[in-house]
Formats: sequence, C-alpha cells, structure tokens
Amino acid sequence: MVYVAGSGNAALDQHVRQLLQDSLGPGTSLVPLPSNRAALVGDAPVVALGPTAFSNLRQFNRRASVLAMFVERSFIQAYTERHPGQVSAVYYDVPLLRQALIGKAILPQATRISLLATQESIGLYDTLITQLPAYGLEARVFVVETEQQLIPTLARALSYGDFLLAAPDDAIYNPRTIKHILLTAYRRNKIVIGPSQAYVKAGSLASGYSSFPTLIHGVAHYLDTYFKTGAFPAPDYPEAYGVEINRQVARSLNIPVPDRDRIVTEVDEALALRQRALP
Amino acid sequence: MPLTNTTAVVPSRAEKPRPRIPLILLTTGALSLAAAPGVWSQELEATTGGNGFYSFSDEVPEVLTTTRLRQPKVRVPGTTTVIEGDLIRDLGITSLVEIFRLVPGMVVAEVGSGTPVTTYHGTVHYEQRRMQVLVDGRTAHRTTLSDMDWQTMPVPLELIERIEVARGPNAAAYGINAFLGTINIITRDPADTAGVETRVVGGSRQYLRTFAAVGAADDDLDWRLDYEKRRSDGFDYQMDHGEKVPFHDGHDINVFNYDSRLKVSPGFDTEFRAGVTDGLNEEDVRRNGDMGLGDHPDIDVRDYYLHTRFNFRTDEHHFFHVQAAYQNFNRRQSWSIFVPEPALSCLRDGLYVFDPANRDTCFPTDADGNLILGTPLTARVDADAEDSRLEFELQDTRLFSDDLKLVSGVGYRKDTYRSATYFNGRGSNYQSRMFGNLEYTPIPWLTLNGGGNWESTTTTNENYFSPRVAANFTLNSNHALRLVYSRAVRTPDGFEQNPDYGFTLHGVQPSVYSEFEGFRIASVNIWEHPDLVTLGQDLEEERIISREISYFGQFPMNEGIFLLEVRGFKDTLRDMISGVIQFDDWTIDNNVAIDQQGFEIEASLEYPDTRFRVTYAYLDQNTWYTGDPNVSEEDKKYNEDLLERLSVRHSGSVAIIRELPMGLLASGAMYWADEFRKSEFQRVDLRLAKRLYHPGFTAELALTMQHYVDEEPDLSSQNNIEHQNQFFLEAGVRF
Repeated sequence: MVYVAGSGNAALDQHVRQLLQDSLGPGTSLVPLPSNRAALVGDAPVVALGPTAFSNLRQFNRRASVLAMFVERSFIQAYTERHPGQVSAVYYDVPLLRQALIGKAILPQATRISLLATQESIGLYDTLITQLPAYGLEARVFVVETEQQLIPTLARALSYGDFLLAAPDDAIYNPRTIKHILLTAYRRNKIVIGPSQAYVKAGSLASGYSSFPTLIHGVAHYLDTYFKTGAFPAPDYPEAYGVEINRQVARSLNIPVPDRDRIVTEVDEALALRQRALP
Repeated sequence: MPLTNTTAVVPSRAEKPRPRIPLILLTTGALSLAAAPGVWSQELEATTGGNGFYSFSDEVPEVLTTTRLRQPKVRVPGTTTVIEGDLIRDLGITSLVEIFRLVPGMVVAEVGSGTPVTTYHGTVHYEQRRMQVLVDGRTAHRTTLSDMDWQTMPVPLELIERIEVARGPNAAAYGINAFLGTINIITRDPADTAGVETRVVGGSRQYLRTFAAVGAADDDLDWRLDYEKRRSDGFDYQMDHGEKVPFHDGHDINVFNYDSRLKVSPGFDTEFRAGVTDGLNEEDVRRNGDMGLGDHPDIDVRDYYLHTRFNFRTDEHHFFHVQAAYQNFNRRQSWSIFVPEPALSCLRDGLYVFDPANRDTCFPTDADGNLILGTPLTARVDADAEDSRLEFELQDTRLFSDDLKLVSGVGYRKDTYRSATYFNGRGSNYQSRMFGNLEYTPIPWLTLNGGGNWESTTTTNENYFSPRVAANFTLNSNHALRLVYSRAVRTPDGFEQNPDYGFTLHGVQPSVYSEFEGFRIASVNIWEHPDLVTLGQDLEEERIISREISYFGQFPMNEGIFLLEVRGFKDTLRDMISGVIQFDDWTIDNNVAIDQQGFEIEASLEYPDTRFRVTYAYLDQNTWYTGDPNVSEEDKKYNEDLLERLSVRHSGSVAIIRELPMGLLASGAMYWADEFRKSEFQRVDLRLAKRLYHPGFTAELALTMQHYVDEEPDLSSQNNIEHQNQFFLEAGVRF
C-alpha cells in the first residue's frame, strides 16, 4: 500500500494517482492521505505531492517514510540529508547545468553566463559555477542587495554575460519582477533561459522541464526499491528532460533556435561526453 | 567563484528550508501533461496576458522603424540596419554622427566650420535633409532648414539602446523627408537605467565628453535624469592663401534630459521626456558670417523639447498610443560687418553689390590692387533664428493573428519659424497625414506588406500619397528574399520655399552713416549672379521611386552564427532641388534628375568571445540637368555636381570585438569611403578596455586610438588635423 498526500489540486492529485497506479500495477493500492490522518500511516510509504503536502505530513508525522514529488532540490535537500532512506525525492526542478547547456545549444557562441542571486540564494549556483568550465562556459553571480537594486544589478549582469540563466529563486524571479527582467534583457538583446516552463510562457526563451511520465517512472522505481529494501534511494533528478521554447521570442530576437529534440540531444551528448571523460 | 557585489561567505544550507510557494499545476489536455508551476503560473498568465510579454508590446526590440510594426527581419519590407548601443560603446565611437559609418551606404563628413553631416546615398553636403531622423519617435530635424544638427542632438552615446536605419524610401511610414531613408534613435528605457552611471572621455584636440545619469525603477514609475557635456576644438587648422591658420570650429555643448514612464494601470502608461541643450558652436569667420569683419560668428545654442506619449493596451491584440511633442530650436549668432564706402554707394543707387558687372563700381581697387575703402561702415548683424515644431500622432496597432497585423494612424505637425534674417519675420507650415501598413502572411513562406502615407502640406499646398508594397519569401524563419517597391516625396522646407533673406544693421559706425541704422540689406539688393536667381519661383516636390531586391539570412554554425544581408537597389530620383542657397546667390530649382543603382552588404559573424562585422556599399549614380536649358554648360554641371558632393562609389567598414582574459575587451574598426568627391576617407580605430566587476559597481577603463590613414583631408581641404594618430582615454563606472 502507498499513501498519496495530495497537493490540494484535486485534478492533479487524481491524475498522478492514476499514472502511478498504471505504473505500479494492480498489486499496489494507492490511498489518498488527508493531513489529519497523517499520523496513522505506519510503515507504509507516502508519496507527497508538492512542498505543502510534504510540510503538512512532516508536521503530523516525523517518522513516516516519505517520497517527495514536485519539489525542488533546494527545498528538500536538508530533509533528505538528515533522514537518508526515510525521506527522499525525485526532484522537480531542472539541474542548472542542464539549463546552462540548453542556453549554449541555442547560442553556441556563448561563453559567459550572467546569474542573479540574493545573499541568501547565492548557494544555488555553487555547483554550477564549478561545473561550467568543463563545457567552455563561465558564469558570474551578481548579487541583488535590495529590491531597489534588482534592475541596476541586472543591467550590470547583462553587460557581462551572453545570456541570463534563471534559477528557481523566487526572491529574484517572481510574477512581480519577471516582466521587468525580461523586457530589460530583451531590450539589450540578451536571452533568458529558465527557470521553468511557466516562465517560458511568460517570455523566457527556453527552459528544460521534467515531464510527468519521467517523474512517475522515477517515483515508481523509488517505491519499488523501498518495497525491496525498506529504504528509499538517495534523492535524484529524473533521467530525462524536455525543452520548452518560446518560438515567438526567438523569432523576434532573430535567434535561430534548433528544434527541441536536437537541443535535448546536444545537451545529453555534452553531459555524456563529460561523464565519459571523468576518471 | 566570481562574484560581483558581495564579499559574504556563501551561507550554509539552512537547517529548515524556507517554505516555497508550491510550483505545481495540472495543465489539462492531453496526457503528455506539462508540469507547470501552479499558483505562479496562473499569476504569470494574469500578469502577462497568457501569451507572454513578448507577444504584445512595443517595448522590446525587433525592427520597429520600417513599418511601425514590430517585425522580425524576415518579415520586414525592406533592409534595415540595427546598430546596438553596446556595439557603439565597444568600438569607442566618439560622437553620434560617427555611428553612421557602420551603416552600409551612409557617408559621414564635415562641412563649413566642422559641422557634421551624414546621409544615405549621398546628394548634397550642406543642409542635408533627405532622411527622416527620429529620436524615440520624435522628429528631430530642424524646422527652418529641415537639416540635422548632429552636434546638439540631445542623445548621449551611453543612452543609445539601438539605432535602426531603414535604408531606402520610407515615406510610406513617416511621410515627407523619409526620402532616402529613416534613422530611428531609440534611447534606453528608464526602467533599464536605474542606478547611477558616469563616464568621462578625454583626448586629442581637446575632446572632452562627460556623462552622468541617475534614475530608479519601481512598480509605478521609472525615471532617469542625465547630463552630457561635449566639447572639442574641432580641426587643427585650415588653409588660407596657402598658409596654415587656426580653424575656429569647435563646440561646447551641454545636454540635460529627463525621461520617465508612469505605469497607471496594466493597460495604460505614460511616457514623459524633456530636455534642454545649451552651449556654443564655434563658426569660423572664414567659413561663415557674410560680410564679416573679423570676429567669429559663433552660434549660441538654446534648444529644448517636451515629449509625452500615452500608451493604451485594450487587450492582447490591440494597442494604440497618442503622442505630442513640442521642440524649440533657438540659435543666436551675431558678428561685425564691414562695408566699404563705394559698396554703400551701390546700395544707395540700387546696384547689385556683388554682381561682377558692378565690381569696379562697388569694390574699386587702386593701382596696386588694394581695395579702396573710403570711409567704411561697420555694424553688427545677426542670423538669429528660432524654430519650433508641434506634432501630434495617434497610432493604432491591431494583431488579428500572427499572420495578419495592421498598423494605422494619423498625424499633424505645425512648423513655425521666426527669423528677421531668413524670413524677415515669422511663418508657419502645416502638415496632416494618415498612414497604415498591413502585414499578411497567407502561407508560411510568403509575407506581404502593403502600406502608404497620405499627406497634405501647406509648403506646396498639395497632397501626396507615398506607397510601399513588398513580398518576403521566407524559409525556415532564417532566410528571406524581399522584393520591395516604394515611392516617396520630399517637399521643400520653409526656407527653400519662402525665404526673405537679409541682414539688418545695428550699431552703425561712424555716425555719418546713421541713416543705415536699422537698414536691412536684403539678398535682392546684392545678387552676385542676378541672371541665375530663382527666388520667387515655386519649388515642386522631389520624387523617388525605389525598387529593391534583398536577402537576409542567418546561418547557425557549430560554435556561432553568421548573418548576411544583401541589398540591391535601382532608384529613380526626379525634380531634385539643386543650386545654391546663399545670401548673395539663390539658384535652387527642381533641375536635376538622378538614376542610381548599386548593392550593399552587411555581414556579421559571432563565435565564442568574438564578433566580426563587415559592411560594403557600391553606388553607381548618374546625374543630369533637367532645368532651364538656357543656362551655361558650366552651370548645368555645377548643379549636377552639387547633388553628388556626398555620393560615394565605394564605402564600408570592418569591425572586430574580442573578449580577452582578465576582463579585457579589444576592438578594432576600419572605415573607408572611396571616390568621395575627389578624395577618400580611411580611418582605423583601435580600443582596449579593462572591465572591473567589483562589489557594488562595474567600472571600465579604456584607451582608443584613431589613425587617419590618409594625410589629405576628405571632402573639404580646410578640414585638417596635425597628427594622424588621435588618442582618447575613458573611464566609466556604473552602480
């Protein structure tokens, strides 16, 4: 038996349960778990859909084995590090290296990436900055000290980089700021990559995303391991990603963007090549 | 880890992560559901209108100028060069007019006392008025003479977002004056310049440019206040009777601007701009100042403008703006004159003072050839002029679909000129116009554009319709072959059509000539060539028909991109106004025809850390006289030559910009214009810049060298510099 702590979006919850059921087969029963019954789950694993569901569950039951879905690495990392095997996740966000390589696939002449962060979110880019040189890229973080400094800092960042890479950092990228950021970038003829599909709809040029089938496949694999070993594997990203592109932005900026499959292939090949080169 | 404005140690991961707004939403539809953020996704859609900011806004780049629609290059009905502000700054360009050396087919030169001129496809060198020039959609040329004063333009180089040059007639969008092309200078949005920026550039020939801007951006108001000083001593020397003499042709101009955008509601914002230009433009007595005594007739510049625009967005597919602008150009210029006694007698007797037939009477000489002065009159005269322009415009844009877009509008303009010297009073011209352009893409590989401008002007009391039709055959959104047909007119300006040219004498000395105090010496009293004078004849409009075939292509490569744009053209220009506009000569008439053809190339190659850009233009111009057949062959040739003074057969530029390690940026450029009258222009610019990214600010230090390849001056033999290598140092900081 697997409990499913819902996101609050009934249609989404229903759909995910259906996909999971199809993936796990009829031998596993999926049971919706309201938060007021979280204390009663016993040893059965719980799939938490989203950060709210996860937080509610943890509030009522800190001993439950929880597999988080639709959560970003930055949200869940502290939990998974403190409770390995008991708390795990299939990350929802896209690795920043992959996002950077999507930008490189679109702008092959690019060598410099601008990053915006707050003092609190600088850490989001630590790993990325150490990874980039191996791919012929470098990045610089421009720190936004106050809300009023967002645009001045962005203007300085755009004068540095070939494109702006946006991480899922809601202090910088949110509905109130995104219009300013996009317009300022595009007026300077600089593209914005990331942070998610929704931002591509809003005007970001492109972003990677993890598809539902891929996420479900990952969750099913984690549950299977749990059933066999009594512990979840370490949290990880899904195996495959898609790329969302705003073709209208590309056309307007006169940027010839390869088709999505080609970008995905190029990114996968670049990552694989690097992986093979490692000792 | 390269950080720019923090010295803090990267904080360790918090024990308890801060809660994050859930980024989950079920996007209904097919089973291949995209996991899009939930609450934010909905909020983003509400904020952006569902299709993103890009689908609907004219706040973002693309080619705006050609049709007034935002269009990608593959859909634009004509070749348009886009010069980005960063390219201008990275190449170390030192003045606004120099930018146009980067545009294929454009020529830059200096006339008179170092007055810069530029044009596309040549024609005259003085009073160049055959291109429409806009600054943020506001007409920028002067009212009286309709020419451009590039030295006093209220546009600091640091604030140029980009310059679009629509090459070819563009009257279909902008009406009269968009005859050979359109220059649209787009300054940086105040939202993008929040913070503080300063820059100082100094160098050869006492060149000094200082710039400072401060501004802020928030949810309701974006604003910027900026100041720029431009100073130069101009050329080093001129030639006078074979000797080098100093050239008094510098300038010292101060520009103040305010730019703002008030966001009233999601569908309504207002822009407001104002600016003042104040300073001195030096004029050399040898080059200017009719009947000058010896003091330089410097021009005191006092211009200002007010510009507001109301932007309305009714829904995702419809937006319009209403804009109003008022500009005032105020120029004060006075000098002393000196009139020999015999010349005064000629004035009294009604003889044409400068007519060669009267030379012995009006300017007699003694046996040694020295002028007989008698008791000469001295006085002060002025060429003060104040022009103002009031213009209104309503422009409406409808996006019926991605494949059908319409822009249309109406405009009204009142030009007022006031000058005792040029008009003996004041006068006004009025223009009304309607314009529109429809872009239609019936099939994916074909985009059609049809547009036109109907205009009525009191300058000629006639109406004009200037159409343009174009077909763009596109492939893969990366390649387009364009066929363009367009027609345009240029009507004579107020001074060409209705002059009353004369100098009024003030402070007359000695007292024996008190009868001349307040006397107005008019052109009609002093003609040098009275048999050629055309004053009083009504001038007609100039006409151009242009046919263009052009190609735009983007070629993505493994590690870069190559862009190529080639334009071939064949133009017929008729009833061109040629002749002389001078105090003692007035011979302009619709008396020259031109057939011209040629091709132009603009290419750029971008690969990691490097940008390479090349332009080349070839112009084959055939000019012939069509005016009064009774004038001499020499005069016919002279009128033809006047319309070829700025026409260059070969011209182009090569530029390279390369990022180097340690924050260094190197750039080089070569500009040339060959068969430029009888001379040529060649210059190589080299620049090395060091960028410093520090906590809280970004700084730049740079050294630029300009090397003039030819020792001989171009266009005018007076425009001389002592040293072929000119150096400029600059320092800038941005917070």
